[in-house]
Amino acid sequence: MTWALNNAELILQLTLTHLFVSLIPLGLGFVLAVALARVTPAPFTPGITSALGAVYAIPSLALFVALPALIGTDFLGLTNVMIALTIYVISSMFFSARDAFTSLPPATIEFARAQGLSASQRFFFVEFPLAIPGLIAGARIAAASTISMASIAAVVGVRNLGYLFLDGFQRRIFDEVFAGLLAIFVIAIAVDLSLWLLGRALTPWSRRSRV
Amino acid sequence: MFDFESLWMWLADSKNWEGRYGLPNLLAEHLSLTFMSIGIAALIALPIGIAIGHSGKGGSVVVLLGSASRAIPTMGLLFVLVMLLGVQQRELAVTLALVAIAFPPILSGAYAGIRALEPHIPEAARAQGMTGSQLIRLVEVPLAMPAIVGGFRIAWIQVVSTVVLAPLIGLGGLGFGIIQGLALRNFDQVVASAMLIVILTVLGDQLIGVAQKTQTLKLENSSGGRNK
Amino acid sequence: MKQQLRIGIAALALSTLGLAGCTSQSSETIVIGSQAYYSNEIVAEAYAQALEAAGYTVERSFSLGQRDVYVPAIVAGEVDLFPEYTGNLLQYFNPEASETEANAVYEALVAALPEGLSALAMSPATDQDSYNVTQGFASANNLSSIADLANLGSVTLGGAPELAERPYGPRGLLSVYGVTVEFLATGDTTVESLVAGEIDMANVYSADPRINQLGLVTLSDPEGLFLSSNLVPIASEALDQGARDAVNAVSSAMSAEELVAMNVRSVEEQLSAAQIAEDWLRSEGLID
Repeated sequence: MTWALNNAELILQLTLTHLFVSLIPLGLGFVLAVALARVTPAPFTPGITSALGAVYAIPSLALFVALPALIGTDFLGLTNVMIALTIYVISSMFFSARDAFTSLPPATIEFARAQGLSASQRFFFVEFPLAIPGLIAGARIAAASTISMASIAAVVGVRNLGYLFLDGFQRRIFDEVFAGLLAIFVIAIAVDLSLWLLGRALTPWSRRSRV
Repeated sequence: MFDFESLWMWLADSKNWEGRYGLPNLLAEHLSLTFMSIGIAALIALPIGIAIGHSGKGGSVVVLLGSASRAIPTMGLLFVLVMLLGVQQRELAVTLALVAIAFPPILSGAYAGIRALEPHIPEAARAQGMTGSQLIRLVEVPLAMPAIVGGFRIAWIQVVSTVVLAPLIGLGGLGFGIIQGLALRNFDQVVASAMLIVILTVLGDQLIGVAQKTQTLKLENSSGGRNK
Repeated sequence: MKQQLRIGIAALALSTLGLAGCTSQSSETIVIGSQAYYSNEIVAEAYAQALEAAGYTVERSFSLGQRDVYVPAIVAGEVDLFPEYTGNLLQYFNPEASETEANAVYEALVAALPEGLSALAMSPATDQDSYNVTQGFASANNLSSIADLANLGSVTLGGAPELAERPYGPRGLLSVYGVTVEFLATGDTTVESLVAGEIDMANVYSADPRINQLGLVTLSDPEGLFLSSNLVPIASEALDQGARDAVNAVSSAMSAEELVAMNVRSVEEQLSAAQIAEDWLRSEGLID
């Protein structure tokens, strides 16, 4: 506890980096997963689902280490880690995004079509808003795991909250490691709650959803 | 840069298949840590999940636990446990951390499987004079089997890919090649180890998937039979 | 005449301004990196604060991970200054390097550095790999040098996973000293594993405070299995002479004992790298 108080500034700074490193991939991954889920023709869905399942099975540490060698990104770990996390978000969210769109009531879509809405109008004004609860549910799962997974990036030189694990373990300062654990837990829960609130705010017609 | 030929050469080199840190040994270690922790998690999570599903009380705890567990960084949990238990107990520490990961999906699989049953099913069973434990054993658990197996599927994927962190605290498993390879700049070793972990994960996932399908088919056949 | 003098002074002032402009341009912001190793971060902090005291603007880009990540970054000019260790860095560039004596290692390192990197003067402070045993094991087997191990039947060596493949690892022990070891990758838990008797001998950095705290015996290395490793600042070409002088002053003031003492403060008093570095710089009169 004393350690955390004495190093509050460091913890705050690491928290900001941590949020940066995880929220950008989350946003990017969300958009890409929704796009991928929307454009993938039904016959290809099982193939893409199992391919993304295999991607999801790649241990994050391995992807952080091997990505520069595989796709030729730069060496300073940050970009590289954010690309890897984006890939995880896509593979974690694709299935729920797909589900969110396929489970829309067909009658509503038909009605929108009959009203003369174009494909893009239907997407932005009908399908996407109706899919929000499903998409938010998927995003919440992806958010929590991305934020906790991002800490492993400290091993490849990204100075986020995971730094407290490595440094605290080297110096055998329990409070430092524990502060990192707690900080990550708190921001993951905070982001989770924000997403839940966002989902509620965006879908005023369905106020029955619970935490 | 990376090329497949040198990757195959690394895999074909017999020296990487021998000894304490040879691939067979690392694989065995990886599997034993995985099975042990999933087994312990199942012993605790299944009875609780079934009880909660059966009684309908405490469901929100299951949901909360599920989201809370995702928010806990495994590396931090692992280090905290090692520091609390002492380095000599690191195998226990890593097992506990893995149990903590495997527990929520198994719990929610069992809970959700039983909760998802149509309410008229347990009602009908009770009307036929079944006791609570008969209802669980003969009706609820068999019908919830696909969901229960589904919980194991998620637990498997998460545990197998998390064992990778064990070498950070001086244990083995296939993550050894990733951490040693990183320090030695041996990308063939890193990629080969990662590939083996992916193959292991996907293979196990497919096997559990087959089990899940068999359970579902069994249910469909038996209910289909009765309907006729 | 007065007029001319005035013009002359103005011209002089302008030219010095111009010069100042040039120097400040070449020394805009100095990016200082560090390894993900607490002791290295303390040294990087010492460089940073000494440079700040000399009027430079620095940016701390600490805990950049493994050499593989940061060496290309220094070469690319993304990082300007980095605390390194002569022996370990030489081995990174040339795994076959055979020099072991401090000056020879330094010379070899200077020759091995890629274009665009330079090694500033090395510090008397060392932090290098070393083989350690417990007091009990040493007296029971009458050990003081690595060579004495040859009399023992089997020795279990613990260390980071990569030690298995390092030139001074099991292979080097066998070829240089005729010592056969069984290797156990005990990673970050090596010292505890040694104390618990899980391993007989541990690879520990010589500046690790636990060597003293736990009364470990560091075995001498008469055949020079380990490359000696002194602290050495690695700089990119962007670093100007004034900055080099400021960093060299830090290096020459730091002794091996002082480095260990700073590490002790880090693990025992749990102070931040910045605090420890500041206190030391003050005690050396390098900042006020």
